[in-house]
Amino acid sequence: MTELLERIAHCIEFGKINKASSYPPDMKGQDGADECTKAALDQGVPANDILQKGLVPGMQKVGIKFRENKIFVPQVLMSAKAMSTAMVHLKPFFQSGEVIRKGKFVIGTVAGDLHDIGKNLVSMMVEGAGWEVIDLGVDVSVDRFIKAVEENPMCVVGLSAMLTTTMVNMGTIVSSIKAKYPNQKVIIGGAPLNKDFCSEIGADFYSPDPQGAIEYIDNLV
Amino acid sequence: MSKTSELKEFLIHRDRTSDRVLFHPILMQLAAQLNHNTYEEFMTDYRVLVEANVKCLEIMGHDAVGLISDPFRETSAFGGKVRFSGNNNPVCEPIISDIHDLEHLKNPDVYKSERTSDRINAAKYYKKILGDEVPVIGWIEGPLAEAADLAGVNNILLSILMEPDFVRRLMEICVITAKEFACAQVEADCLVIGIGDALCSQIDPETYISYILPLHQQIIDFVHSQGAFIKLHICGNIIQLLPHLALTGTDILDLDWMVDFETARKQCGDEIILCGNLDPVSCIKEQTPEKISECSRKLMNDQKGTRFILSGGCEIPRDTALENIMAMKTPLNM
Repeated sequence: MTELLERIAHCIEFGKINKASSYPPDMKGQDGADECTKAALDQGVPANDILQKGLVPGMQKVGIKFRENKIFVPQVLMSAKAMSTAMVHLKPFFQSGEVIRKGKFVIGTVAGDLHDIGKNLVSMMVEGAGWEVIDLGVDVSVDRFIKAVEENPMCVVGLSAMLTTTMVNMGTIVSSIKAKYPNQKVIIGGAPLNKDFCSEIGADFYSPDPQGAIEYIDNLV
Repeated sequence: MSKTSELKEFLIHRDRTSDRVLFHPILMQLAAQLNHNTYEEFMTDYRVLVEANVKCLEIMGHDAVGLISDPFRETSAFGGKVRFSGNNNPVCEPIISDIHDLEHLKNPDVYKSERTSDRINAAKYYKKILGDEVPVIGWIEGPLAEAADLAGVNNILLSILMEPDFVRRLMEICVITAKEFACAQVEADCLVIGIGDALCSQIDPETYISYILPLHQQIIDFVHSQGAFIKLHICGNIIQLLPHLALTGTDILDLDWMVDFETARKQCGDEIILCGNLDPVSCIKEQTPEKISECSRKLMNDQKGTRFILSGGCEIPRDTALENIMAMKTPLNM
């Protein structure tokens, strides 16, 4: 069992989706996250163990390597794709409650901004860390964020912005959310942002990379 | 000596520093704003782009003007439908999904396509207004950036690992247009051609070496053969690529604010001109003029005796106070 879970973690870490996938070249012809996850379930490994001892450790390694500039966005996307493939097998267990997630994470790129690569990376890696992610997409208005908070009590909110012209909209969103839900945690990220801007707009945390965001929200649980 | 001759001398003599530190801010949305135009007007009408930049030149007294406006000139020429909306950034949906779509992707005539010819007209209009006094920096999209504009960022970044032949063939098509567009701008008297290839900051060195470096070299060799020079601009952190970027043959390498100048100089050698790199937001836009001057002075002192051009790490944003830009320049006059 441990070996299979380690194998799943390895597939996630190196972005091996399934047997047919030609990437990574040195794992060509080997089972991927798809086959290994299915095999684990067939052998009776609890779905929660597959998530917590297979997918999460694999994705954690991805996050750390990404932060340390050892891998880059294409490799992270491949890992996320491998993880999504594994998640398909676990979906029924999420619905039945057999798999327990750490909490809910609502994320969106703020109003006026259509960039989604940073938001998607954070979204995929937070999901891989064991959170349920509610991705609101791009160009998300204040009202949509507030509605999502109403619908998902105890969630953590993540705001993304790529542009100097749209990062200012984060201030409005943070203040509107906090006015209605003073204890609501809101974290921010994006190329033009920094810690000072985070303090200025009253957000709770800024992370320059996905792994920092995961470490922060994991500590809230 | 005109600013054009001054920059040309600096570019040609690769063993020399400039007599004074040159100043090349990247201006787009701010130029439109200072000229009381919308960003849309700036992107879609060459007269507005040139007049806005010339107005900035009169105020700021920098050492080169640019043709940079947005990433979708070539994409539009390839058939992409660009949507403009006042001061918002333009949007263009991908028109390519996979390798099969490449059969239908034809290289455009850059002189006939509306948005590429608009940029060529801008180069000619600069010449009419400024003559040979101020150098003009043209602009083309690099192969990875253009491939992503045509096929989507996520698609390209995944495909470069999963379907490298697709990305390679798409980029080869992009290079043909990049060279033709560069050539047209050189014919319109641009001294330097800027290559914007921001997405390269997101890829690993091995992928860069295998797929992008040969294409950058191809474009740069071609522009050199046309008698012009190159400024390579890759937004973001490019520390992992620095030694390889030096091999492209670029004359000027832009450094974004998160790249350490000293590291870049060590990795790239002494001949390349490094351009940058005050943080456009947290320094140039947000700090006091005194603090900005201090940052600028420190950067200039650190780069004394090296081949260096002062600039922001990337575009100076809209709503930046004019006094902040002037503060950036203050140490140049000391």
